Amino acid sequence: MIPELGSFALILALCFALIQGTIRSELTVNAVFGQFTFLSFAMLCLIISFINNDMSVIYVREHSHHLLPFIYRVGAAWGGHEGSLLLWCLVLSAWTFAFIIFSDKKLSKTTFSTILMILGWMSAGFILFLLSTSNPFQRDFPLSPIIGNDLTPVLQDPGLIFHPPMLYSGYVGFAIAFAFAIAALLEGKFNKEWARALRPWIILPWSFLSFGIVLGSWWAYRELGWGGWWFWDPVENASLLPWLAATALLHSLIVSEKRSAFKGWTLLLAIITYALSLLGTFLVRSGVLVSVHAFANDPRRGLFLLGYIALIIGGALALYSIRIKKFFKPSQFQLFSRETFLLINSVILLTAVATITLGTLYPIVLEALNLEKISIGEPYFNTVFVPIMLPALLLMGLAPHVHWEKQSFLALWKKMGLALLLSLLLAFLLPWSLGYPFGFLTWMGISLGLWILLSTLQSLLKQKTGLNHWAMIVAHMGIAILVIGVSVNKSYSEERQVKMQPGESIMLAGYQFTFDSLDKTKGPNFESIKANFTVGNEPISAEQRIYPHDQTLGKTGIIFNGWRDLYLALGNSLPDGNWSIRIYYKPCVRWIWFGGFMLLIGGMISLLNHYQKRRGAL
Amino acid sequence: MRRLLMIFLILLPLITYAAEDSYQFQTKEDQARFSALTGELRCLVCQNETLAASNAVLASDLRGQIYQKMIQGKTDKEIVDYLVERYGNFILYRPPLHLTTVGLWFGPFLLLILSIGYLLYYVRKNQREKR
Amino acid sequence: MKKYLPLGLFLLIVILLWRGLGLHPNLIPSPLINKPVPTSRSVFLGQVTLLNVFASWCEACAEEQGFLNQLAKNNKVRIIGFNYKDTPLKAKAWLKQYGNPYQNIMVDSKGETAIDWGIYGTPETFVIDKKGIIRYKVLGAISPDLWEETLGPLILKLESETL
Repeated sequence: MIPELGSFALILALCFALIQGTIRSELTVNAVFGQFTFLSFAMLCLIISFINNDMSVIYVREHSHHLLPFIYRVGAAWGGHEGSLLLWCLVLSAWTFAFIIFSDKKLSKTTFSTILMILGWMSAGFILFLLSTSNPFQRDFPLSPIIGNDLTPVLQDPGLIFHPPMLYSGYVGFAIAFAFAIAALLEGKFNKEWARALRPWIILPWSFLSFGIVLGSWWAYRELGWGGWWFWDPVENASLLPWLAATALLHSLIVSEKRSAFKGWTLLLAIITYALSLLGTFLVRSGVLVSVHAFANDPRRGLFLLGYIALIIGGALALYSIRIKKFFKPSQFQLFSRETFLLINSVILLTAVATITLGTLYPIVLEALNLEKISIGEPYFNTVFVPIMLPALLLMGLAPHVHWEKQSFLALWKKMGLALLLSLLLAFLLPWSLGYPFGFLTWMGISLGLWILLSTLQSLLKQKTGLNHWAMIVAHMGIAILVIGVSVNKSYSEERQVKMQPGESIMLAGYQFTFDSLDKTKGPNFESIKANFTVGNEPISAEQRIYPHDQTLGKTGIIFNGWRDLYLALGNSLPDGNWSIRIYYKPCVRWIWFGGFMLLIGGMISLLNHYQKRRGAL
Repeated sequence: MRRLLMIFLILLPLITYAAEDSYQFQTKEDQARFSALTGELRCLVCQNETLAASNAVLASDLRGQIYQKMIQGKTDKEIVDYLVERYGNFILYRPPLHLTTVGLWFGPFLLLILSIGYLLYYVRKNQREKR
Repeated sequence: MKKYLPLGLFLLIVILLWRGLGLHPNLIPSPLINKPVPTSRSVFLGQVTLLNVFASWCEACAEEQGFLNQLAKNNKVRIIGFNYKDTPLKAKAWLKQYGNPYQNIMVDSKGETAIDWGIYGTPETFVIDKKGIIRYKVLGAISPDLWEETLGPLILKLESETL
């Protein structure tokens, strides 16, 4: 009965979405509310089906098992294609709902309802996709008792509860900015008020996406057992693409708001950002790429999604081509000015987007042309993506100190020269004084991180700081910490793969890992072999778990402080009685995630400012 | 801290067994070479892991082969060629520079230079027109 | 003209992805195709052969075996087995249970020869012509459909080739 109610709720939600998309009236607000209610209800039905172990529901059977712990049964609701698509729809309707409540009341009624209509069509498309190709409530009743296929062990982790909702809140949130842009193009109007009204709807999803990516990185690091935190997997790339575009959009929007310039560019970036979000879902769900994250696929799904994307984004870009002339305004700034710097920043970020897209899709190009089958991975992105991003980091420290419209080079040098030289020098001295070897790339990376840090702090000294400025400072320092973390981690990580048995020890990076004992333990739905180690007098242990259906999963052991992680992974047992063990020393790895977390904080501060101002204005 | 160090020093001679590396090399450089090489090759079974990271049986076999070849004094290029002959370029995470991959390797840099160049030209032109 | 650039680029990507939907990203073509067999050349000379990689631990192999038995029974083609990472005892028991279509079996218990053949999973099947040249490789199980559409005609063609 509950699954049928879920299906029915989806159909009702679709009806409401269609009403929202077609009728221009103040009543559409109710349609949004109805849609949100019924999608929430559908999600609740799915979760209840999981909690009840209703194995007659195909989706539940494929992704659960009667031994699966309660919390993962809840998370399993979005652990597969159908359920995560339902989550996608739910998040979209939640954003629309939030838009109605919190949106700037300065927007005209027509604009407001145009935005709602566009969102209605987008939502309808996704719910239709869900109902026609991927209904999570489909059931059948086999005669024999059914044992669930179980949730893939990799997903049985707290990460499953937080990472997908956070990430989707980011992806889907850009739909609002997209709808804004379409409304602006349709009405031929995009002024300062609009830019201000749009701002929170870019900052908030950008913050969520930033943190969602960080959560994913942290999860992969703990789960995959080789000490890596980014793999340039197509699906990771798919999350980085909208992030880069949104970062460009964020900065371009500031110029549109403060200087009423770059309007066409801001609108284009809003379209591109959402397009890249959609491209990401397509890549994950269509099976065109091999990925650790890819869902089992059905060709109809890929075709539907591609058609949907072609329609929505193609339509938006066609509209852009026709209407963009209206937004053209001759520029008021000189070559050496903050505007130019921000434009260059946009260009670099978009080049980075193009690079990742190229690296992700190039294998498909070659295969489609029947030429060759190639792989593109970390070595490619490290050699191409990293050098392209370096100048952006240099500009990041500089741009906040450059005047709008016009800046003298000499004055800038006088102001910033010291910070630049100091960061170059410190980046050389710091590793040296700690006894680490010199490396050119390491030096570059740390220099740039320190440069952003110092120049951002310098702006704190001289300027009057409002909340908005603080938001920028926190976010930029987050990037600085992330950059330093990445540089140190990439350069000074150490690892050993060894054969060991209890009683033996091994040294790594000055730490002695002692293999104390081997335990057999049992969890709620797995049996496990646990290798207990000590480092100094801190215990650390790694496991090999065996789940139902003989699925195995390694669980890593990690002890950390602010400076470094010590990381332990248990491999196979060897014929000679030894165990294959991997140990890693990972300096500054937490800085990377902490930096990402600061982006979220920065975003929140900016939001606070927005609403404080608005309350002041009312 | 000092006491800890003392304990450490006393314990040190007691540890008779020291574990050994799964792949033993004479020099640290060779060890690093092995890590770097296996880190740039793709496992064919679980296709989104490197040979270094993968737990698949084939990955471990191939690691063994690479190790043997290194011990025999083969160069990185010889080892990579050996694998490509059998599994194709798919095994390389760093695609080789061919006619078909020129766009891949140089496209992004070209794009960056062209677009920044165009941007500067555009701002300049606008400036002049205003004057 | 410039303003149509984003739309043009986007359409190009859509067409590419649409083409991409029909591809199989996880199947890796063998570079050994149209090259002589890497080992045991003499075994393959003179007769068109299917070299089928199997193992007792491989579930898909068990499913495939029925069809291979049929092919062998109807004398469609000579089939040679390649026993990958297995023990003789287990392999024998397995062949007893699922049937033995092989005229001959190459044994590779350590998986070393397999690397020379570029084998990366089970089942895999090579089609080898009379000169001992690899002409085709099937990744995964051979289905009756695949036989009807591709393998059958190919083998007929190879049979008609002169040495």
